Amino acid sequence: MDSGFYSTFTGFSTRLDALEVVANNLANANTTGYKAQVSFYRAMPAWLQESLTTPLNQVVNRFGVLGGAQLDLTPGNLEKTENPTDVALQGAGFFNVQTKAGVRFTRDGNFQLNAKRQLVTGTGDPVLGEQGPLQIPSGQITISEDGTISVDGGVVAKLKVTEFVSATDLKPEGNSYFASKSAGKLSPDPRVMQGSLETSNANPVKATVSLIELQRTAQMMEKALSIFHNEFNKTAAQDLPRD
Amino acid sequence: MYRALYTAASGMETQQLNLENVANNLANASTAGFRRRRLQFQDLVYQNLVMPGAASTQQTTFPTGLQIGLGARTAASEIIQAQGDFNTTGNPLDLTIQGQGFFQVQLPTGEVAYTRSGAFHLDSTGIIVNSDGNQLQPAITIPASATNITIGTDGTVSVTLPGQQQAQQVGSIQLATFPNPGGLNSVGGNLSLETTASGNPIVGTPGGSEGLGTILQGSLENSNVDVVGEFIQMILAQRSYEANSRVVHAADQMFQTINGLTS
Repeated sequence: MDSGFYSTFTGFSTRLDALEVVANNLANANTTGYKAQVSFYRAMPAWLQESLTTPLNQVVNRFGVLGGAQLDLTPGNLEKTENPTDVALQGAGFFNVQTKAGVRFTRDGNFQLNAKRQLVTGTGDPVLGEQGPLQIPSGQITISEDGTISVDGGVVAKLKVTEFVSATDLKPEGNSYFASKSAGKLSPDPRVMQGSLETSNANPVKATVSLIELQRTAQMMEKALSIFHNEFNKTAAQDLPRD
Repeated sequence: MYRALYTAASGMETQQLNLENVANNLANASTAGFRRRRLQFQDLVYQNLVMPGAASTQQTTFPTGLQIGLGARTAASEIIQAQGDFNTTGNPLDLTIQGQGFFQVQLPTGEVAYTRSGAFHLDSTGIIVNSDGNQLQPAITIPASATNITIGTDGTVSVTLPGQQQAQQVGSIQLATFPNPGGLNSVGGNLSLETTASGNPIVGTPGGSEGLGTILQGSLENSNVDVVGEFIQMILAQRSYEANSRVVHAADQMFQTINGLTS
């Protein structure tokens, strides 16, 4: 009974989940290298195998739930910082970082040198070159467009840039890192910009529009819920003829 | 269930810090030798509602997971090491470093502090000190009778004494640099102290191979604050703050709706 009630309620709580995705995008509107998440809905049949036979029953018991949140990999804008160890990637690809949990990927090129003159991320994890961690001697650091690092004109190493076939391989982990289930492949043609950072690609306009949309659809669900609750149930409980 | 509220609050908090940092940069737009700071934001951890690759049926898996992020945090404030403009003053003890080095001054505690601000003066005994009276290291004394002070690009300080044709060398300024200058601890008064993050100072003669830079006499390095850039950062901070507050509002309304369901 009342499967419409549950179906509507599922729709409502799905909107709450979607709101959280939008909230996170907006909270990270200024996070370097952040990639916005786009949520999508999925119909979930809420019945056990073969238990609902009529097509009508199947339709009303198909609940809309949040299917997932996909990464939007469109590039952000470039922000000039003039720090020699700040780098931005143009086009596809990710920098490689050696964390305690294994290799992670990031678009946040806000790198620094630590006391041992290793190139590290803001969290302090070493950035990987094609030959492993990067030790930079003192001098004028130049990073060319293909990611080659040179100091006072002498080539030191090359930044490792990895590309992935599909964004669905990547899982955001916080600290601007992504984990990947596939190893990816070395980018054949990386485009690195020294002295710049990639801004977040979270679009505040889009986010604000989805906020309004979520709020309004939640209100519609509320209306539907109150019709089930007040009109139908009241009628059934009070107004039907009794013996 | 209240995640959206806390996520938005974390966004508002980072933007508030952002504005505070902009305020400090702008307040120091005319401080000689000041280096602007830039806040570095990172996303917080994610909650996995559906793991990517989890089984959707016995044969298939979800290609995309459902991961809900919990907001943003401020990871660090990075010192931007870009060189500021020069301001010619003509004062013989106003010095600019063209390069990445720092002047060394001794604090009353005996500790050595590092500064880019090259506005030096003489104290009552003729020793070169900064505006707060801290001695430049290594200490250099200018004879009271000196008529002219010349400081070379390599830091050599020489004076002309009355009745002498030849300039006389009285000392030499040395500069310091660090493996990671971004890791220095700013303590106000244009001074920074070394930390374990910055590494040990590398002291040398200006113009050497350590990348210390050369000294330019008679000018001061302006603050490297870019006022237009800071204004843009200020607008961004303000608008992002507003956008996050809208999320708080939207979440609040949805919760109100839930509370109103049974009426």
